[in-house]
Formats: sequence, structure tokens, C-alpha cells
Amino acid sequence: MSDDSRNHLARTGETALYDELSRSNRVTTRSWYVATGIAFLVFAFGLGAFIYMMATGMGVTGLNRPVFWGVMIILFVFWIGVSHSGTLISAILRITQASWRAPVLRGAEAMTVFALMVGGLFPIMHLGRNWRFYYIIPYPSERQLWPNFRSPLVWDMVAIATYLTGSILFLYFGMIPDLAVARDRSTGWRKRLYTVLAAGFRGTHAEWRRYHVASTLFAVLIIPVAVSVHSIVSWDFAMALVPGWHSTIFAPYFVAGAIYSGIAGVITVMAALRWAFKLENHLTERHFDNLGKLLLTMTLIWGYFYFAEFLTTWYSRLPEDWALISSYGGHYLPLFSLMLLCNFLIPLPLLCLKKIRRSIPAIFAVSLVVNVGMWAERALIVVPPLARRNDPSIWRNYFPTWVEISYITGALAMFALLYLLFSKLLPVMAISDIKDHLFRTTDRTVGGTVVPSVADEESGKGGTP
Amino acid sequence: MSAGRGVVVVGLFDTVDKAAAAAQALRALPLPEKNVTTISSVALPDGAVVSDRGPIRFPWIVAVFWFVGAAAAFGLTLTTYLVYPMITAGKPITTVPPTIIVTYEGAMLGALLATIVAAFRSIGLGRFRTKKVFDPRIHDGMIALCAAVDTGEQERRAAEAMRSAGGTDVRAEEGVL
Amino acid sequence: MKHKWAMVIDMDRCTGCGACVVACAAENNTPTAGEADAAKGRLMHWLRVSRYWKREGNETRAIFVPTPCMHCEKAPCEIVCPVYATYHDEDDNLNAMVYNRCIGTRYCANNCPYSVRVFNWWDYKWEKPLDEQLNPDMSVRSRGVMEKCTYCIQRIRRARETAISELREIRDGEVLPACAQTCPPGAIVFGDAADPDSAVSRLMMDPRVFKLMEHLGTDPRTAYLKKQRGPGR
Repeated sequence: MSDDSRNHLARTGETALYDELSRSNRVTTRSWYVATGIAFLVFAFGLGAFIYMMATGMGVTGLNRPVFWGVMIILFVFWIGVSHSGTLISAILRITQASWRAPVLRGAEAMTVFALMVGGLFPIMHLGRNWRFYYIIPYPSERQLWPNFRSPLVWDMVAIATYLTGSILFLYFGMIPDLAVARDRSTGWRKRLYTVLAAGFRGTHAEWRRYHVASTLFAVLIIPVAVSVHSIVSWDFAMALVPGWHSTIFAPYFVAGAIYSGIAGVITVMAALRWAFKLENHLTERHFDNLGKLLLTMTLIWGYFYFAEFLTTWYSRLPEDWALISSYGGHYLPLFSLMLLCNFLIPLPLLCLKKIRRSIPAIFAVSLVVNVGMWAERALIVVPPLARRNDPSIWRNYFPTWVEISYITGALAMFALLYLLFSKLLPVMAISDIKDHLFRTTDRTVGGTVVPSVADEESGKGGTP
Repeated sequence: MSAGRGVVVVGLFDTVDKAAAAAQALRALPLPEKNVTTISSVALPDGAVVSDRGPIRFPWIVAVFWFVGAAAAFGLTLTTYLVYPMITAGKPITTVPPTIIVTYEGAMLGALLATIVAAFRSIGLGRFRTKKVFDPRIHDGMIALCAAVDTGEQERRAAEAMRSAGGTDVRAEEGVL
Repeated sequence: MKHKWAMVIDMDRCTGCGACVVACAAENNTPTAGEADAAKGRLMHWLRVSRYWKREGNETRAIFVPTPCMHCEKAPCEIVCPVYATYHDEDDNLNAMVYNRCIGTRYCANNCPYSVRVFNWWDYKWEKPLDEQLNPDMSVRSRGVMEKCTYCIQRIRRARETAISELREIRDGEVLPACAQTCPPGAIVFGDAADPDSAVSRLMMDPRVFKLMEHLGTDPRTAYLKKQRGPGR
């Protein structure tokens, strides 16, 4: 039996650990106010542009015939893609019990919820008559008509509602032990808030056991939902007769792209959290190294899917598809080059280097580059196929107006705003998971060296008394 | 255990070994396994201090609600097709693949909602009116060992066992484990 | 009485004059997009005359394809509308458009391979006295809804009402959409394909008949007659 005074949690001291990890909740700095203020202003500008668009008409955008879908749909797909971060990182790392998962979990799960909230707005925003969006909801009304379940947009509604509910529950459930700690260490209105949210969690043996079963169950359930959601989003395109959209590879291709985008997003957010709340002791180079390796894997997987899709279209040169491919070398060459550069040519060699992966500023930059590339990729999926579609007599290019650009910045600002508020109100690091990991880690002397060793029961077998 | 004659003896321990020794002594009293539990800020491995091997049944509820959700979504799509039979693109009125997609999403939603509700009930969360035994000092790294005993002789012997194993602030509290 | 309205456009007779476009715009309260919006690709015409250039040896020919809604039997626009704003009318076998149900997702426009659907980008206004030119049989659409050629369904309905009140069937040639009515060379023929004696049914048997993008399987009701080639033509 190990002497538990040697485990890393006993060495650190729980009070000090809590103070370090909950710094964002307890101390409000001036930079937080400035950041929140800027985020709010940019978001408010986007909101104002939206109200202007709603009141005046979709004509204020750059949309036309045949490019009926533009920046708003690009943003929709992009943000739903980013939302795949949390579920996949958090859920998969939990299930595979990766030893380095603890500090990354909460940030990733929160990213999922907020990205979904941002992305889920766009299907309503891009409607010509947004104020009638409720026609798409199946409920008894005097209109005596329910929606068309054969339409991929209705599948979107069902899938995103399920995923949003699931990821909010997943985030909340994961926070319960941390909310219990926060409840016991805070005063005033925060104590009241956390008391309600923690729902009376104490930490008895029976509670922990059931809690772990439920957490695993959530993780197992949320993964198929995440996969199905982005498949359904991809089917908005794949079901259409537009050359360049009507491809069977879209569902797995989009899921791979979403995971890619999501992991890059997690790296961005984790680096920001580390810097803002001085979490260098917990979000170490090892974490970014591992996330960087995952990102490298996804670069390769994304590249593979993209090449496979491109190859089949390019090889047969069907007249309808060829016009689209030609445009990649023509009008859409800048966007296409940007995508290839940012999605593949830059990240691939850089992420192969351990030095880059372990340097926080470098991998932060790479993650931003990847998400720029993914945005360009979404743009290339939505716009050129419409611009060069079946009937050449109505081919036309598209460029966004100031209204749509304000949506791009506004979406980013809304995400940042939600995250800033979250970091202020709720535990932004998975304190209990980190504590659990430290509790199980002791230093083991092996020959002439000391190796940190993590004690993990094999699931299904209890300890021998 | 009827109210009024039962009480919980709580003791704080600063290491797992001391808590384990105390639990051993409590089991020797004899006290049934289910009357003793720990409260800790991290999950202790099963058997470290106390052991809980009882079956956890709530995942089966989740499985049941997966089917309930699937049935509800299936019913919704089928009813919509049949009550509003409009021809679209020459496709049949009851189309299979869209039904599968919506049914699947409904099933997952049912399972997710069932998980949170069943987990809350199984863990015992959300019972704000029940007085539950607790000590906030567990967040400083202490382990609270709680024994549900009858007042009188059993209570005295349990407190004695805890104190001799190194427990601090051993006291009797009203409440449930 | 069920009808199967269809249209045949003779490419030999079509001169590309565009009178059909003007007539359609007048009949259906089509807003004028204006020069700026037209340059942006936001013309509101339900019927367009697509002009293609074809090089043959030393010559370049213009090919005019008047493109109204094809009223496909298997219309891809119908299945993607989330709110059933477009569906297949069984009595007239037309692709129906319900303006007040449309929430403007524009998915139908994306799924139409012929790109015949147009979207109301603004609330178009008819300043006085232009509002007096509006057709009272047709609505004026608000911003945010889709619209498209309806085979002048208001004329079909009017003809049906007249026929019912006179206790007879609709005669062949009684229903003429605005484009068919106006076309100077008579390139557009409209009628009931369910009636084996109608002009449309006979033209549908013509060996010159072809349909646009037939390989997509949309089964359009608008067909074309190939331009005849050969010496002196």
C-alpha cells in the first residue's frame, strides 16, 4: 500500500489548488472588463446589422441568383464544426481514459455548447422571413400544417436541438463536483447560485461511483449524436442536385473536417485560458503536444478526404462538375490556395515538429491558421458549386457585403462573450478531475530514477481487500 | 432505520490509511457495509476505505428511454406524413430514410434526457429538503467517514473506533448518509 | 376533372425577342429589380430567355432558350422545402408555390437545376400610378419569399370556374399563360397533356421534342422542339 502523503494531491494542497484553478471566478481584472466590452460591442454591431437586414430585406447581403446561400450558411457550418471539439475531445478522452485529459475537458465541453449556440442562430438568421421561423416546428396550430420531415433542414432542426440539449447536459453534469467545491468555498449570491446548481452533491462513495457511471454514459451517448449532427448538416448540401454538392462522401468528410476544426479550436481556447488565467502549471507543454499530435492526425485525415473527393470529380470530368473544378483554377483560385495553404501545406510540416507542438505561441498560431483554412474550405463548399451550377446562363460570382462581414465578426465576438461570461461565473477548469488525477499520481523509484506513476483500476474489477 | 433512533457518527481523517483502518474497525463492531461510507473530494478507489458493489441499474432506464424516444420520433414523422399527405418530388408519402434519421435523433434525445434524470435520482441529487450528512472540510483534503448507527451503545462504540484510528472531530449528526 | 398542364416551346420559331418575359412580368405583378440589382443577378423575371452562343466553323450563332418553370413531375424543389411551401398540386399536376407559407430558406432555389426560382430580396414598391397596373388576380409578394412561374395558375383557375359554371370541360386553347398569349411567332404552345387531342399532346409526340437536363430525372412538363438543321436553315 502506498503512503498517500506522497501522492501529488497531498503535496499540492487542495486549497492552493482550488485557488489556482478558480482564479477566473474569484478575481475580476480590468482586462476582463475590456475584453468583455469589446466583445459586446462587436456582437452588438452584428446584431444591429441583423435587425437592419430583417427590417429591410435580404437584399442588403451579397446574395443573388444562383448563389442563394452565402456567408450565413458558411458560418453555420463552420460553427457547428467547431462545436465538435468538446464532445469529441472530452468524450473520447474520457472513454479512452487518456491520462492527460483532465485540464482540457471543461474548456472543450464549454466550447461545444457556445459554438452550438452561435452556429444554431444562423439557420434562423438566414431565413427570408425569420419572424416566421416557427413554421418549421411541429406543433398543433391554426395553420393546420406540420413541417416536411423529408427536408434536410428539418433534420437539422432535430439534430441541432438534440446536440445542444445533450452538450449542455454533458457540460453541466461534468461540472457538478466542481460546483460543489465552489459552493463550499464561496459566499453571497455565488454561494446561492452554486448551491442550486450543485444539486446537493457531496462526494460519498456511492455518489462518486454512480456519478462516474453516468459521466461515461453521457460521453458514450454524445459521440454518436455529434457524428450524426455534422452528417446531417452535410446532407443539407449532399441532397441537392448541385454539381459539387451531390457527393456521397460528404457525411464522413464533413465530420472529419469538424473534428479538425474543433481540435484547432480547443488549442486556441486552451492557449487563451492558460495565458489569461495563469494556468501554466496545469495546461503544460505536454497537453499542447498531445493536442498537436491529434491535430496532425486530423490534418492528414482531412487531406485524405479532400483528395479522395477531388480525385473522383477531377478524373471523370463530367461537364457539370468540370466547370466547378475549372473555377478553382480561375476566379476562386485565391480562396482555393488559401484553403490548401492553411489547411494542409502549413500545418502538416509544422505539426510534425515537436518543437512547434511544445511551443505554446507556435501551436496557437497554427491552430488559428487551421481555422482560417477551415473557414475557407466551408466557403469553397458553399459558394463555387452554386456559382457554377447546372445552367451556365445564370452563372454569377458572389462577394459578401458589410452586413455579412459583421456576422463573421459578430459570431466570433458572441463566442468570446459567452466564454468570458462563463469563465467569470462557472468553474472553467475541471477541478475534480484534476484533483482525481493528482490523487492517483505518486512518484515511484525505478532503479536510479523517479517516475510519476498513475494508479488506475481496470474497470469492472474492484480492488482486493 | 426509523427516524429518531438512528444517528450518523462522523469523523475526519487526514490520510486514506487512517480512514481505512477506522472503516476496518467499524466493520468489526459489527456494522453492515452499507451503513458506512466516506465523503471525499476525490473518488476513492472501491475497497480503499469502503466498498460498494451493489448493482447500478439506471443505465437500463436509459436504454428503455432510447426506445421511448425512438418510438415518439417515429410516431411524429409517420403521423405528419399521414395527416398531411402532400406529394413532393414524386416521392412516396411515407419515406423511409428521413424517418430513420429523425427517429434516431429522437432516440438519442430520449436517452440523453433519461440519463440526466435517472442519474440525478440514482445519485440522490436535487433532494434539497432532505438533511444530508456533510462536512465542508473535505475540500481541504480530509476524508469524512460516516457510520449510520443506533443511538446509545452502538453510537458510543463507533465513535470510540474512529477516535482510536486517528479521527478528529468525531461527532454524532442527524441526517441521512 | 384532373388536368396535366404542359408547355412546348418551339426553338425554331423563337426569335429571342423577349415579349414573353414582358408579358409574364405584366401578368404576375413581377417587380422591377432596377439596373443595379439586375447587374447583381437579382432580376425578378419568372421567365428568362437564356442566350447561348455556339460557334460553327466560321459562324457564331445565338441560341435562345426561353426558360419558364419546368413544373417537374419529380420536382427537386418540393422535397427540400422544410415547411411544404412548395408541393405538387394533384388536380392540375403543377408545382405549386404558397407564398404565405414560405419562410425563405431558399433551399428550393438551390435544388432547382434550371434555376427558375427567384427570391424577393426587398419589399418592392409600385409608386403611384404604377400600382394601377397590378393584376388583381395575383398577389404582391412580401420580402423574403420565393416565387416562380406558375403556368399562370390564375388563368387556369379562372378558366375552370368558367367551365364549371357553363357545365363543360375546359377547351383546348382556352387557357393561355401570358407568355403563350403574347409570343409573336407562336413558339409557346400550352395545353392539357391529359387530353390526347390537345395541341400540346400532339407536339409532345414530335420527333424533335427534347427536355432540358433530362438525365437528372426531374421529368419536366415543359418541353422544347429542337431547332431544325440542314441546308438553308
